[in-house]
Amino acid sequence: MRIGIDVGGTHTDAVILNGDDVIAATKALTSADVISGVTAALDEVLKQSGVSVSSIRTVMIGTTQFTNAIIERRELSRAAVIRIGLPSGRGMPPMVDWPQDMIDAIDAEVYMLHGGYLYNGWPVADMRDDEVNAAVSDIQRKGIKNVSIASAFSPMNNTPETQVAEKVRAAIPDARITLSHSFGRLGLMERENAAIMNTTLLPFADRVVTSFLGALAQRGLTCPAFISQNDGTLMNADFVRAYPALTFASGPTNSLRGAYKLTGLENAIVVDIGGTTSDIGVIQNGFPRESNVIVNVGGIRTNFRMPDILAIGLGGGSLVSSDGRIIGPQSVGHKLVTEGLVFGGRTLTTTDILVASGHSDIGDKARVAHLAPEVVTQATATMHTMLNDNIEMMKPGGKDMPVILVGGGAVLVTDGLNAASKLHRPENAGVANAIGAAIAQVGGESERMLSYRQTPRAEAIASVTRAATDRAIKAGADRATIRAVDIEETAVPYMDEGATRVRVKVIGELAQ
Amino acid sequence: MKKIDLSHLDDLALGSVFLATGGGGDPHVPQLITEQAIKAYGPISLIAPEALDDDAFIVPIGNVGAPTVSLELLPSVDEAAKTIDAFEAHVGRKVDAVASFEIGGGNSLIPLVAAAVKGIPVVDGDGMGRALPEAQMMSYAIAGVRPTPALALDYAGNQATFQTKTTEVYERHIRSFAMAAGGMITTAEHAMSGAELKRSVIPGTLSFSIELGRTLRENRGQAEGLLKPLQDIFVPSIYGECRLVFQGKVIDKATRIVGGYDVGEATIDRFDGSGEPLKISIKNEYLLATIGDKVIASVPDLIVIVDYETGTPINAERLRYGHRVAVFAVGCPEFYRTPEALRVVEPRCFGFDIDYVPLEKL
Repeated sequence: MRIGIDVGGTHTDAVILNGDDVIAATKALTSADVISGVTAALDEVLKQSGVSVSSIRTVMIGTTQFTNAIIERRELSRAAVIRIGLPSGRGMPPMVDWPQDMIDAIDAEVYMLHGGYLYNGWPVADMRDDEVNAAVSDIQRKGIKNVSIASAFSPMNNTPETQVAEKVRAAIPDARITLSHSFGRLGLMERENAAIMNTTLLPFADRVVTSFLGALAQRGLTCPAFISQNDGTLMNADFVRAYPALTFASGPTNSLRGAYKLTGLENAIVVDIGGTTSDIGVIQNGFPRESNVIVNVGGIRTNFRMPDILAIGLGGGSLVSSDGRIIGPQSVGHKLVTEGLVFGGRTLTTTDILVASGHSDIGDKARVAHLAPEVVTQATATMHTMLNDNIEMMKPGGKDMPVILVGGGAVLVTDGLNAASKLHRPENAGVANAIGAAIAQVGGESERMLSYRQTPRAEAIASVTRAATDRAIKAGADRATIRAVDIEETAVPYMDEGATRVRVKVIGELAQ
Repeated sequence: MKKIDLSHLDDLALGSVFLATGGGGDPHVPQLITEQAIKAYGPISLIAPEALDDDAFIVPIGNVGAPTVSLELLPSVDEAAKTIDAFEAHVGRKVDAVASFEIGGGNSLIPLVAAAVKGIPVVDGDGMGRALPEAQMMSYAIAGVRPTPALALDYAGNQATFQTKTTEVYERHIRSFAMAAGGMITTAEHAMSGAELKRSVIPGTLSFSIELGRTLRENRGQAEGLLKPLQDIFVPSIYGECRLVFQGKVIDKATRIVGGYDVGEATIDRFDGSGEPLKISIKNEYLLATIGDKVIASVPDLIVIVDYETGTPINAERLRYGHRVAVFAVGCPEFYRTPEALRVVEPRCFGFDIDYVPLEKL
């Protein structure tokens, strides 16, 4: 049996899965100290199920704590930022395009050094020992413990990053260091941004992971614990102490994965209807379809792979125009319970339409009795049209696809959806995130720029796959179950024929 | 003389991606460089071609290389100005103004960086009115401006000068140097007099790109809503016709390198899956759009793919399976419809065995 926990900004959810069956589920409030909310949720599911802690094999945790910390600019530690790439990029220092409040929040010291590599393996410039030593002593003198290091083309050759890291560690033994090549993909600025954000979260990550593990230990759970990351795969908890930034998109990912688990549908559209928005995502072969565009986290460009989510302004608290033709994007949000008509408020919301149409009896039905039937019919039609049109746009290849409804606002869908080949409303849809965390697998990704002239294509792909596999094993995967799920080759225009960027992603089952 | 300041850069970059028709590279980093240059040196003067003296000395400047490389080998703020300095020393003459190779993509911004640092104006116009893959396709070359003497600088300040007999040979040599220098260089080439520029430039494209970017920004949203505002600015301009030719999902995109270029095809299905798909042929840029045997638009007219939800143009290197897109077609400037221009930019120059038919006659 396994436990899945989702620690969100407002709620901490927990489930116990026995094989594929959800045998207990609960929603508790997230506590300020995190730990007591987690223990409360754990107590509840253990009590509900009557399961003894010794029969729990693993605990999986999904959390938005680190994303929220970046967005809210809190819990961020002072960082030293080293870039190795001079003489390229003069006058283009790290964080040059960051929002000022984020720059202020991390109060970084920036060091730009000579070195790095070109795409063809030649050095950008020789590294200069005196330059490196001066930077390291300055960091030491200023007492900064969190250090990010990025060098040009480090996904291809990470020697400059590792060499400087050794010097930092020799001088500052308790330094926490993030090397940009850990975040794979080409794009120095985006990769460096990821490394800096990661670095500034390291002390907080340490505290959060310690509280998670503390909560589990308090309840006698000594089994391995994992935390889910952006792509729906797992990291062991200690890995998160080093790479908290890898959890940035785990919220929507777990929701999509949970919907997959609840229905068993490997290819489907998932519509998560909340209070303010409907988030439409796509499951392909059991995993979220990823976004194509550069993703901003807290106003900062990153190279993270995130699920492709289309958010539309339709939720349980969305405002409805008096003729029922326009819905959202404004919403009363969590104030629905005071501002909605059926709750004695004065704002016409989608929930009021639902009650007026006779599909729900929450609140006071008498307060919506005055609504003209044609307005109720029109508003209901508007909601369904919005969902149908947007689901249609997310569907790959215009194929028939089932739709899975999750989230508290799923009740708004009363008339079925034309865009869906079949509509699914799974039980336990409210704790889809915790279920998504509970079923996460272990993944690994690697990317390199190679010349197919120097390295034949098959050999090139095999070497990148090996690097991805090593990463997956390091993250806790069982070697025997690892398979490549994505191989992407991008030819580099204007260059030597055969210069190609190869990216491989592998996943595997959690090693027992 | 108009000035370009920080407030214009977002729009210029956005407009330039639209005009890049899939090529030209992501202007994000060039835009950051330009911002740094304007912050340090102040706004840039924009000079209309007709305002230049006939004997003024103008040199186009830009980057040559692989967009992917510039993701790692970041440009420097002083690189463009150093290239001009070195060029001036090489030819023994001061440059009065700089101009752009191509308004499409990051190369629309490099002359601005040079102009800011050097304190000289940038010409309101460019050598393509869009983005195209080769030097001999530039209007400067087509109008008879010689590419050399030319000078290239790499990130470390290493320098190469070129003196070639033809633009085609120049194109080959400059590519070799770009590869040897790590994949990205800055070059000053096709230097000319004010009189020569006036007959070879595609005029007004820099200010047009800013206007276009503003239109895209202000009308951000689903593609149907964009058509009218786009027609309002394209129809009275040097471009003319503007059509929304297709909307749907990318169901396939495959490119491979042939002769140093990204060559391939994208296939787009309608959202409801009905009818035949639209096929877009790619050689760095989007060059040909067809449905079955029917040509919908072809080079040198502009084919632009935008994100369906936001109207944001999408570069060929970022276009991927599953993208929800709208496809616009826009007429090219009249210059590119002359026999001299069509000889180097007609569909056959890119390996498509069809005659060029102007967009409005399709």
